[in-house]
Amino acid sequence: MVNYFEEAKEIFRYRELLRNLVSRDIKKRYKRSALGFLWVMLDPLLMLLIFYVIFSGLFGSSTGKYSTYAMSGIILWQFFSQGTKVASSAFLQNRNLINKIYLPKAVFPLSVVSSSLVHFIFSLVPLFIIILFSGINLSFSLLLLPYVVVIVFIFSFGIALTVSTLAVFMHDVIYIYDVLLLGWMYISAIFYPVSILPEKLQVLLSLNPLYHYISLFRACLYDTALMTTGHIVFGTFFAVLSFLVGWSIYYRNKDRIVFYL
Amino acid sequence: MIDFAKGKRAEKKTLWALRNISMDVHKGESLGLIGPNGAGKSTLLKVVSGVIKPTGGKVHTKGTIAPLIELSAGFDDELTGEENIYLNASILGFSRKEIEERYERIVDFSELRDFIGTPLKNYSSGMVARLAFSVATEADPDILIIDEVLAVGDARFRQKSKERILAFKNRGIAILFVSHDMEQVRNICNKVLWLDHGKIKMLGETHEVISAYETHQFERDTSVREKG
Repeated sequence: MVNYFEEAKEIFRYRELLRNLVSRDIKKRYKRSALGFLWVMLDPLLMLLIFYVIFSGLFGSSTGKYSTYAMSGIILWQFFSQGTKVASSAFLQNRNLINKIYLPKAVFPLSVVSSSLVHFIFSLVPLFIIILFSGINLSFSLLLLPYVVVIVFIFSFGIALTVSTLAVFMHDVIYIYDVLLLGWMYISAIFYPVSILPEKLQVLLSLNPLYHYISLFRACLYDTALMTTGHIVFGTFFAVLSFLVGWSIYYRNKDRIVFYL
Repeated sequence: MIDFAKGKRAEKKTLWALRNISMDVHKGESLGLIGPNGAGKSTLLKVVSGVIKPTGGKVHTKGTIAPLIELSAGFDDELTGEENIYLNASILGFSRKEIEERYERIVDFSELRDFIGTPLKNYSSGMVARLAFSVATEADPDILIIDEVLAVGDARFRQKSKERILAFKNRGIAILFVSHDMEQVRNICNKVLWLDHGKIKMLGETHEVISAYETHQFERDTSVREKG
């Protein structure tokens, strides 16, 4: 237990590196493109447009309602999926450094998930614009948003540690995880209402951490009826579980990683 | 006191990259590591700097370690010189405050002030190496680890970096120095460890070990030539 804590202290000692890695990522991603930071907002909007054209008629809901529903699902999903997907190759991508200089290696997946958090915060802007246009009144449940973001972050970091560590020993993990994410997206009630699922499947949804996170996120924004104890308890539980599993997989293997890079 | 060994599994046989290495380096001493490619010199440095945990044995180090190992590994082409100084120094474990304190000195030593806002991809390789050397040597370490990196920049900068290394030595910093350039080893080290296949071939005074090593090299070369 003491040693587990030591490694966390090392990461804290290297927080300036973490900051530099995140700022490098953001600079590189947006400095060179003509629309710059606009892309971080355009990206979910374009995705929303696609979903809207295909699905909104199908589910017979109003434009404003569907846009808010799908948009909130999209940006929370992207926060999780983009972060963990890029993080899956975090150790492999930084093999040059890990092989030559001592550092607490977990800063690499942590920095990727942190960059994803920054993008998420920027993409809240188009979301709030849509909410504004839909005539939705924000409520006090918005105050719970930071808590929801924190548990999604912890959950993502746990998954990122797991996938990135396993990927060092078996590169296929990166591809497998990619496919897994695609399937995961379809079962997370991002662009369709939960009510279209048969009841049996609705029960299974409670095993999907992302379903709880997306529901809680929507609860904070506009649908206070979703702010249930079940979502909060399950959401918190999955975050803690993911972190403990990820950290212990990373911790047990961190000294072996260098031999496989 | 350093005493360790490291194992790596290769097929059925266990291949020891380093075995039965026992040595110590004190304050103000500089130890040269010589030997053919694959002898374990770089592995030894990695074990000392903590990149690799030994599978057996122990490494004791006291104080901070600054590695001067393939300097450009921590640089990013897209970022400016200034951004790279921050990035690279933080890779070495510096806090923001420590970097800010050293920033001016790093820029001065590198002599790259006019290019500090330019992306690194527009630098020549010599300029990158100068920047990297300047960052790493501002670390003010207790132990300095150098892996074949003194041949950076033009002749004048090489001279300047050599002087800086010697100044480190005079300040009482322990140095571990890997090189194939015996002239440099003679200049910098007061003790030399000759490694071969992960084992100590010889450990002792600089001139003794180097002349034994050179004789060995010479004999091997002539015997190869006779056979050929």
